Amino acid sequence: MSGRRGCLVRLSAHLARRLEATEGARGRVHSVFARAVNVQWSDGSLLALHGPGPLLAPFAAAVDDVARLGALRPDMIVTVESGRLLAPGLGLSWQGAQRVDCALVSRRPGGASGFAALAGVLPPHAPGLDSQLGRDARAALAAGIAERDATRLMAGARSLLGLGEGLTPAGDDCLVGALAVLHAVDASVLTEPGVAAAIAADAGARTTTIAREFVLHALAGRFSEPVLAVLRARSRDEADRAAARLATSGATSGADTLHGMRLAWDALAV
Amino acid sequence: MAQATVVTRGAYHDSVALLTLARALRARPGVREAAVVMGTPANHDLLAQAGLLTDLARTATANDLIVVVEAETASGAEAAAGATAPLLAEGATREARRGRARPRTIAGAVRQMPDANLALISVPGVFAAAEARAALGAGLHVVLFSDNVALADEIALKRQALAQGLLLMGPDCGTAYVAGVPLGFANVVPRGPVGLVAASGTGLQQVATLLAGRGRGVSHAIGVGGRDMSEAVGGLMTLAGLARLGDDAGTELIVVVGKPPALAVGERVRAALRGIGKPAVVCLLGRDVTTRTDGAVTTVATLEDAALAADAALGRAAWRPRPFSAPDVTGRIGEARRALYAGQSTVLGLYAGGTLAHESLIILEALLGPVASNLTGARGRHRVLDLGADEFTIARAHPMLDPTIRLEMIGRASEQADLAVLLLDVVLGHGAAADPAGDVAPAIEAARAAARGAGRGLAVVASVVGTAGDPQWLAAQVARLEAAGAWVLPSNAQAARAAAAIAGGEPVLDRLLGPGAPR
Repeated sequence: MSGRRGCLVRLSAHLARRLEATEGARGRVHSVFARAVNVQWSDGSLLALHGPGPLLAPFAAAVDDVARLGALRPDMIVTVESGRLLAPGLGLSWQGAQRVDCALVSRRPGGASGFAALAGVLPPHAPGLDSQLGRDARAALAAGIAERDATRLMAGARSLLGLGEGLTPAGDDCLVGALAVLHAVDASVLTEPGVAAAIAADAGARTTTIAREFVLHALAGRFSEPVLAVLRARSRDEADRAAARLATSGATSGADTLHGMRLAWDALAV
Repeated sequence: MAQATVVTRGAYHDSVALLTLARALRARPGVREAAVVMGTPANHDLLAQAGLLTDLARTATANDLIVVVEAETASGAEAAAGATAPLLAEGATREARRGRARPRTIAGAVRQMPDANLALISVPGVFAAAEARAALGAGLHVVLFSDNVALADEIALKRQALAQGLLLMGPDCGTAYVAGVPLGFANVVPRGPVGLVAASGTGLQQVATLLAGRGRGVSHAIGVGGRDMSEAVGGLMTLAGLARLGDDAGTELIVVVGKPPALAVGERVRAALRGIGKPAVVCLLGRDVTTRTDGAVTTVATLEDAALAADAALGRAAWRPRPFSAPDVTGRIGEARRALYAGQSTVLGLYAGGTLAHESLIILEALLGPVASNLTGARGRHRVLDLGADEFTIARAHPMLDPTIRLEMIGRASEQADLAVLLLDVVLGHGAAADPAGDVAPAIEAARAAARGAGRGLAVVASVVGTAGDPQWLAAQVARLEAAGAWVLPSNAQAARAAAAIAGGEPVLDRLLGPGAPR
């Protein structure tokens, strides 16, 4: 059966560069959900495919019709060929896709001003973050951020990785949120030698494949569009709307991410 | 307290599904706690802190899903843990349906569901043939619910289907069962050894529900459309359906339901049944059908007899038709007649099911003489109306869904001075109204009260096509009708005979029960 034509309508700039540089690359379908599919490349990294709309991961691409993803099954081979992602029954061109910069640049004047404008109570996070382990981990992370103490920051991150409910555990989402604010405001503690590498290594060992991908991109300063929208918001209303949209992600993923953002924001005492 | 654990290796379920699972497990009676987490080191610690890190849970790695249930009893914990996979599967199906854009074309639907092998098409008739053609072209069997499909299109579609080794059920196929899956207006019946080929929706429903009442289930029920056994169509799908049931290991007995076929078609059908060799029952409703057996093929006159004969054949028991199985029939008939005044002697049948109307028409004609009907255009003192016919459903839903037209007619019936009996069908099952007895009961009560007010009686006789598993709750439906003053009989045929006996008195009873039979 020849590939049915379709296209990617939106993808991260980072992903686009990767695809263009890896003609002939082969991956396999890692996981299939109702509205998304993950493809895992030979180096272990992921590509997420979902329907039209904001990129829900910094390693995501939006297809023109989510129904096309119904052709994909776990372990199917996906290849990069001549500007398309190819799989049995599917061919997705990215040539006309909108490219989205998912990177946060730190120390940008007014960085995270949106989060500063975000007022009031955040939605409840996952119960796992309220466990003793969760509280201790968050406290360590907050202290590491507040004191620019890489050791405590790494300990907090390590304790959060893989902690709690969800396919992307609540602790990972919390950590991603914190890293987003760090990159938006002051990522200096992350740039200390070995810090990012240590957290990345812990992510490889201590959490799920999908969550690890989010954390690795977060360490590199790349985030989903819903997260970016909160941090790039220019007014309180815009921030509130963006936060409300982020909060609808997953069961509590969005809320856990917002709590991580609040944790880092408060710790930085911006 | 007891604990049970399920570890699913390499499990990827989104967080909403996992949260929903956790809630569902915690909601089970006797469950104190349920942990649903990925097997990461941190979650191992979390479970350990909560006293839920079982030996099996320890073996889980980061991409494995751990479910630990703690319950009051070991059996409770095991049962809850055992529910994990079905609950996740149920959630996945729900999410898949919700998450995908609804397709607008057959092609789009096939892309979204490439493993589909059947399309059920319900669009206005003018568009139905094209959609059916597209579905067949995509390699799908078709249940064509739509009516008003041109005869030429029906023939062409059925020939296309046969050329591709597919079935095209319909047009106007209101009921089918494929591998235990009910399609269209269908009752909850068990799976079992009876295969049906039916040119009749409510006819199929009557037979299937009566079989279910005897503990007999359905393997498959193939609806072929009302014109299939005509000379023009030549029984194309009837014969194809029979061939498939003949080859189906799960089908031990075949029932054919419909109206009298074209002569040559009837002969081909009987020849096919003889060739298949499985026991068969043929119920092709028509005048002067006599019950007979020819080898393995039994011919019967009514839908109820089809079910009874099939049941008997499967049980290798003898069977013969009888007019009534309901208790104290003569007593009830006498009581109903005593409530009438001398001039009341006619029957009015108001039917939602076309085949049920047809069956009643035949029975009433045989017992009472001419019966007027929109089914035949005949005239007579008595009337049987198929309220699902086109003339009654313009800008209105079918009476199986919308009782309005029947309620109006019941109201007017009470004004008919010579009316003795109101004869009704109530059809339950998937797709039917939520409370058909409740819909019609007030009108029955009002009609009977109005008749009493005018110094007359009014007998109401009904049958309910349904099973105990139907969503409308069969027992409650029967009870509601009886509370409204209706006499509910076990089948449409018995209801028609009872109505005839009430209206026609002793001469009819003599014909039904034999002169001198105990009354």
